[in-house]
Amino acid sequence: MEKRPDEGTLPINRAEALERIGGDSDFLKELLGIYSEEFLLRAKELRSALNGQEFQTIQELGHSLKGSSANLSLPGLRQAAMDIETAGLEKNIQKAKESFACLEKEFERLKKHLAQSPD
Amino acid sequence: MKRPAEAKKRASKKAMQILIADDDPVSGKILEKNLRKWGYKTLLAKNGIEAWQALQKTGLRLALLDWMMPEVTGLELCQRIRQVTKPNYTYIILLTSKDELQDIIKGLEAGADDYMTKPVNFLELHARLQTGRRIIDLEDHLLKTQKRLYELSTRDNLTALWNRATILRFLQEELEQGAREKSPTSAIMLDVDLFKIVNDTYGHLAGDAVLRGIADGLVKNVRLYDKIGRYGGDEIFIVLPNCSLTNVAKIAERLRLACARNKIKVPEGRISVTLSLGCVSSEAMDRPSVDRMIFACDRALYQAKHQGRNCVALSEPLPDSRKGTTHGKKTR
Repeated sequence: MEKRPDEGTLPINRAEALERIGGDSDFLKELLGIYSEEFLLRAKELRSALNGQEFQTIQELGHSLKGSSANLSLPGLRQAAMDIETAGLEKNIQKAKESFACLEKEFERLKKHLAQSPD
Repeated sequence: MKRPAEAKKRASKKAMQILIADDDPVSGKILEKNLRKWGYKTLLAKNGIEAWQALQKTGLRLALLDWMMPEVTGLELCQRIRQVTKPNYTYIILLTSKDELQDIIKGLEAGADDYMTKPVNFLELHARLQTGRRIIDLEDHLLKTQKRLYELSTRDNLTALWNRATILRFLQEELEQGAREKSPTSAIMLDVDLFKIVNDTYGHLAGDAVLRGIADGLVKNVRLYDKIGRYGGDEIFIVLPNCSLTNVAKIAERLRLACARNKIKVPEGRISVTLSLGCVSSEAMDRPSVDRMIFACDRALYQAKHQGRNCVALSEPLPDSRKGTTHGKKTR
């Protein structure tokens, strides 16, 4: 498992994300809203795949979350999603579950951060 | 003020539509926003199946395909699109987080033209899209040149009718198809009555205008699937698929009347000309061939001239040998 971003690191690199979308902060807010909705759906699917030890699905969902997290410059979420993808590939259920716990924790951290500093 | 060529180029870029195929809505939205900002139209597909359906549209020349998609992957889409024949090339940029050398090779071998790793660097994407556009513009230029060369090699440049070689090829093809389908192929050979007098009186420019005017009138009065070619000088040859001798006579008469009733505009004013027409049908002929059809048409045209011009003459059945030719029958 790769080293996770420091707890002190912000859950979003806002400057980098804004640069990718031409500095439009309203659009970033909209994208984060879409991301959150998608995250909840994928997290539910992941939970089910972890219970059923469906490694192919675990890998695919990890890959998908890794991509959308990278697009919005969410380093902690990206790393946790990548770990889930790797665990799915390695068929390592223990590692997959641990990484999923980290993913949910990172998501909570992001929500809290966004609530505190919405712009 | 923008120069016209520049404005045209800009308008053409604006009109270009790019397919974005990505199952991640965030990624899709970001791509869409940037592409629109650069003046492209976008079409967003949420999975491989939607993308494949969109790719059937001939207007799509540029596609950004995510490798990992449910149902059909971007890699499979590349392979599929390269297997079908489309009138235009589709330039494909494959997007993926797979960045191993072997993945890049696999993507390019599947038919992608370019490859970018996610998250996409948009300055780089902008530049890579320009590369894609250069290829597309080059293809457009080649297709335009090819079309122009086809026109030059098959059309008569004065009348825009088919040229002699092409109309004879059409006759050959229609005779073969008619034989397969057991349907008659007919032909008309016509020329302008006293065309030399037109040239001598009004000059060759007026003669050219007359030929163009006659060609336009013929095009308007034949059936959509008939083909008209300039045989040589003022002689025009028409191939009429699936057309009996009775019908070709009616069509020829229609052409004669239309020409006789309409005056043609020439630099010196408007002048009247008439046509003589000789008709033949494969149903009235043993062993129909291009040469025998032309021969019979010519003979009927000669009869029309002989019978006073401005009329239609039908060829009577050709004997097996060309000895003892029969006389054409005049219709008016």
